[in-house]
Amino acid sequence: MNLGAFLLRRLWQMVPTLLGVVLLVFFLFNWVGGDPAYILAGKMANPDDIANIRHQLGIDRPLWEQLLIFVRQIVTADFGNSWATQEPVSAIFRTRLEPSLVLLIPMLLLETAVAVTVALAVAACRGTILDRSLMAASTVVMSISLLVYIILGQYVFAFLLGWFPVKGWSDDLWRNLTTYAVLPVLLGLLVSIAPSLRLYRTFILDEIGQDYVRTARAKGLSETRILLVHVLRNAAIPIVTNVLMGLPALLTGAFLLERFFAIPGIGREIILAVERSDFPIIKAATVYVAMATMAANLLGDLLYHWLDPRVHLE
Amino acid sequence: MGRLLLFLLLATPLAGLAASPEKVLHLALSAAETGFDPVMTSDLNTASIEQQLFESLLTYDYLARPAKLVPRLAADMPTVTDNGRTWVFRLKRGVYFAPDPVFRGARREAVAQDVAYTLMRFMDPKNRSPYKFLVEGKIIGLDELAQAARRTGHFDYDAKIPGLEVLDRYTLRVRLKTTDYNFAHAMAQPMYGIVAREVIEAYAGDTASHPVGTGPYHLVRWIRSSRMVLERNPYFRHEVWNFEPGSDPDSQRIAARMRGKTIPQIDRIDIQVIEEPQSVWLSFGKGELDMIGLAGQFAPLALQGNRLRHKFAERGIRLDRITDPSIAYYFINQQDPVLGGMSPQKIALRRAIFMAQNDEEMIRVIDKGQAVRNAYPIPPGVAGADPSYRSLLDYDPVLANRLLDRMGFSRGPDGYRRMPDGSPLAVRYTSSLSSQDRELDEMMKKSLDRLSIRFVSEKLKFPEILKAERQCRVQLRLSAWIADYPDGDNFMQLWYGPHTHENNAACYEDPEWDRLYEQTLSLPDSPGRNAIYHQLARMLELKGVTKVSTTHIRNVLSQPWVLGFKAHPILPSVWAYLDIDTARAPHE
Amino acid sequence: MNVTDANPSPGLWTLAWRRLRRDRVGMASLAVVVFYLCVVCLAAAGWIAPDWTREVGVNYAPPVFLPGDQDETAVPLQQTSAVAAPVDLYGLKDPLARVLDAIRAAHPEDQSRPAEGRRLTLILGGDKWGHDILTKVIKGSETSILVGLIAALLATALGTVMGALAGYFGRWVDDFFNWLYGVFTAIPYLLLIFAIAAVLQQKGVSTIILILGLTGWTGVFRLVRAEYLKHKSREYVLAAGAMGASHARRMFIHILPNTSHVLLVQLSLNVVGFIKSEVILSFLGFGVPVDVVSWGSMLNEAQNELILGKWWQLAAAGTAMAVLVTAFSLLTDALRDALDPKLKY
Repeated sequence: MNLGAFLLRRLWQMVPTLLGVVLLVFFLFNWVGGDPAYILAGKMANPDDIANIRHQLGIDRPLWEQLLIFVRQIVTADFGNSWATQEPVSAIFRTRLEPSLVLLIPMLLLETAVAVTVALAVAACRGTILDRSLMAASTVVMSISLLVYIILGQYVFAFLLGWFPVKGWSDDLWRNLTTYAVLPVLLGLLVSIAPSLRLYRTFILDEIGQDYVRTARAKGLSETRILLVHVLRNAAIPIVTNVLMGLPALLTGAFLLERFFAIPGIGREIILAVERSDFPIIKAATVYVAMATMAANLLGDLLYHWLDPRVHLE
Repeated sequence: MGRLLLFLLLATPLAGLAASPEKVLHLALSAAETGFDPVMTSDLNTASIEQQLFESLLTYDYLARPAKLVPRLAADMPTVTDNGRTWVFRLKRGVYFAPDPVFRGARREAVAQDVAYTLMRFMDPKNRSPYKFLVEGKIIGLDELAQAARRTGHFDYDAKIPGLEVLDRYTLRVRLKTTDYNFAHAMAQPMYGIVAREVIEAYAGDTASHPVGTGPYHLVRWIRSSRMVLERNPYFRHEVWNFEPGSDPDSQRIAARMRGKTIPQIDRIDIQVIEEPQSVWLSFGKGELDMIGLAGQFAPLALQGNRLRHKFAERGIRLDRITDPSIAYYFINQQDPVLGGMSPQKIALRRAIFMAQNDEEMIRVIDKGQAVRNAYPIPPGVAGADPSYRSLLDYDPVLANRLLDRMGFSRGPDGYRRMPDGSPLAVRYTSSLSSQDRELDEMMKKSLDRLSIRFVSEKLKFPEILKAERQCRVQLRLSAWIADYPDGDNFMQLWYGPHTHENNAACYEDPEWDRLYEQTLSLPDSPGRNAIYHQLARMLELKGVTKVSTTHIRNVLSQPWVLGFKAHPILPSVWAYLDIDTARAPHE
Repeated sequence: MNVTDANPSPGLWTLAWRRLRRDRVGMASLAVVVFYLCVVCLAAAGWIAPDWTREVGVNYAPPVFLPGDQDETAVPLQQTSAVAAPVDLYGLKDPLARVLDAIRAAHPEDQSRPAEGRRLTLILGGDKWGHDILTKVIKGSETSILVGLIAALLATALGTVMGALAGYFGRWVDDFFNWLYGVFTAIPYLLLIFAIAAVLQQKGVSTIILILGLTGWTGVFRLVRAEYLKHKSREYVLAAGAMGASHARRMFIHILPNTSHVLLVQLSLNVVGFIKSEVILSFLGFGVPVDVVSWGSMLNEAQNELILGKWWQLAAAGTAMAVLVTAFSLLTDALRDALDPKLKY
């Protein structure tokens, strides 16, 4: 199958999935998601005021009409304004994306670099006591809750030792990267390295069992060369796709770090939106993240094909 | 020696260069702001910023206690005639709005027409103002305009109404429908800060992000729900710090230090939103924040009894401690099919539930000592308060159990009490998902266990709780109310029958109570009004409607370099009245 | 995923057990897990830690090995004075006056009661109410482990049934379940939790199990579906079909046992994941109700206690959880190695 046809088919397949996401989110949040009118109306509002607000927000219209509006919003990529703050939803995502990425991209890069390096090292000495104790140590490290790491880490490294600021964020990308993001990234790594390490170790061990490795050994290539060149090149394929596909989920997953370190990211914004029943933001977040997830999956498949032409696109 | 060295340093030319570094105040908000259109504001965090951006006609004196109204945008206190129905406000001259592109580089003076426009905005249905209740049904002709707007979809701001008359460029006459001595308090709310019509119309639909007021500061940077930076408003009039100190040494020290300085002294205010109390506390400890409200759960860290711990005091950190003009009160829905009703059994059941609440334990364990027992619906510091009021519903589980025994609420085979007719009895307690509310759930579970009444927890998001209250679906809740203005009426109206489905969350509709309450409406703060208030408060207890439990204590900690701070019970922020000692402040 | 190509012989489990017994780390982890399970059983039966809600110590009672670290605010409770002195009724009538008078007449002796005796220190310390933290940790283990286990069973069962149907029948059934899988994995996990929690309301421990189960089935689904795709055209399945075995029989009697090693590993991975997720659910306010204690509720309670210097609850719950999760993860590794020897070289 050629690339164009493949792309077209995959994009077409996204439509029903997106529709499912839209329907699920719409009914879950419209059915039980709360009524923001009461909080917007303030503490002395009478039923008339509530009705007025519900009318302005459009939540007194029939469900199908609201659903149509939702679909139109997705098509035009215009989700209107936040109900709680009147800020355009697009502006919210524009401004929250950067802090999230400043936090997540270094985390992802470091995580991959460390995990791959250690995975190669333990694969080289697989089965030895070093391999086993390193893997056991990584298991111990990831067994502790992120919440505990954050509470302890902020207290010890930022407050007692003063190596990092306790919290904060600035307008300066470099300052954020080198000052404010450092501790959150390191704490996040504590829980995220170990699972990747374990996964990548199996990828690498999978490759070591392949015929070409045996051939290479027979040809007398050094073990290091086999590992670093042949094995790594092939193991890179599942590793890269794994990293890529993990990115969208991370966008919303860092809310604990964002809250404790006062980082204006997307996860924190979503929690705030749910607390305030700010439906436009919830809808937009769901749709955007769903699209990003599907796009990442597609990109992963393409990358797979590109790195290893033996893999056929189906 | 140290002082001499400091003197020498200050005298060198090098120090001269650094003599006027920028003064920056670093603050934290515990919850995200909403937006800076005052007409749409309802939360204290946002109001605290708007207090600095906008100016209302009146305000409260910084140092006077109890809180005292003084003019802000008004030149002097209004002339009130016609038995509290006609109010004439005269404006200061030479007050200018902060610069904005809408003014095309010209200076725009704030005039009486702006005040009239600002008041009208509250009744425009499009603005859905949470604070319109302060003018609703009061100004002659304004409600009719709102009515018309609801029909036509367009609010006529050009209409001339008898209630709002611009007498000249700087004079406004307000005519009220009935006597209302609290109208002056309404005009001191930060939400009633004056705006300019052309700004609102130019930014229609996005007014929340273009605050243009006459206040001492203006907003220069805003990352929503994360960071706000205020800088001094270059057009702010010349105003001098000149507050009269009371007899307490604190306010005299402050006045001595600050008197004669121009307002504001601080160049920039940098505010971050930090939700987690641990992060706030640690930031303050490291000097990253200049002032914080001490979260209740951390009080034992900073305080010993009601004094600052030695290790903080010797660093020069200061503690400001006042009782909040607020109450925490339990209420039971009077229209609930299980708990409502006026039969002696139901009254006894409700009173027993209230008597099982251990207020002392709540203060000690949950509030960590940062609250006081207050059984009266009007808290200290608010006109009409009575700290010596004695509750009928003090903690007394023994009596509560006897009462239930006598009234026929006998225990079933499972050990839990049943209704006198044998049907099952369970009490549903509503609270939010926050971890603080989880502690209150534990408290309530213990209380009901004392009575052998089955406890059911209902956890709702905050907007859902409001909705359930307005629809009279909550059974039992611990709620809180903080004064909008320091008058008892702001609290007593919480149980007024016609306010059911609004903020009478107990859904208490009692003609006898309502009649008494209506008598107080035309009375100023006086012994006569207080006598009726006492009857009203007692009736709430006798009938098992509500139990007022505690009043919180507010603790504010400030770094040694923050000068002139005194916590104010009503004003949401006082940053314009502060200064920073740049010699002591850590450099950026 | 590597799977043995040959039909697993009846000896697969015996072989696996033999391999596991040789694995010292695996056996040690197994011992730890079994120990925890025993504690859970004993606690569930009420033999140990019968009542964690009893306030046996003073507020924030320190652990025994830290004497003298008492909180000055930890005053013992005083009980009540039963009959309050009359208060001014401001001329109003008390509707309960007659009953109250009768009670006063019947119990004139009630004045006050002695304060309950409370311990100043506890083995692992006390929380803010004076609950014994050791008891809480034990009772919390019961909740957290049961939640993890049952939710993992639920997620695995859901994933298995859907994966089996999708893989076995293919075509539109497969399309449908793949679509469902796509939808569930595309929605941000955080929002999915909020949405499902809102639908279920807050009913108790079962809510948490449902939230975890309903969001956690996707991983199992993917693997099981792949297994069924592979197995459905194998000879033994075709033979069973030829002998008249129904679809349900072929799916669940014939194929399912051959995927059991995948399921077991997924199950134990889920247990570990869910025990950790429960902490986050508690943080978001969807934790256990107040009359139940779990590691998540303890960690969240202890959030602010570290700075206050009352670190023992955080330490106790954090350690208890870390030890179990570590042991369970190592056991999972050992199981995987034992069941799938190809991975070890």
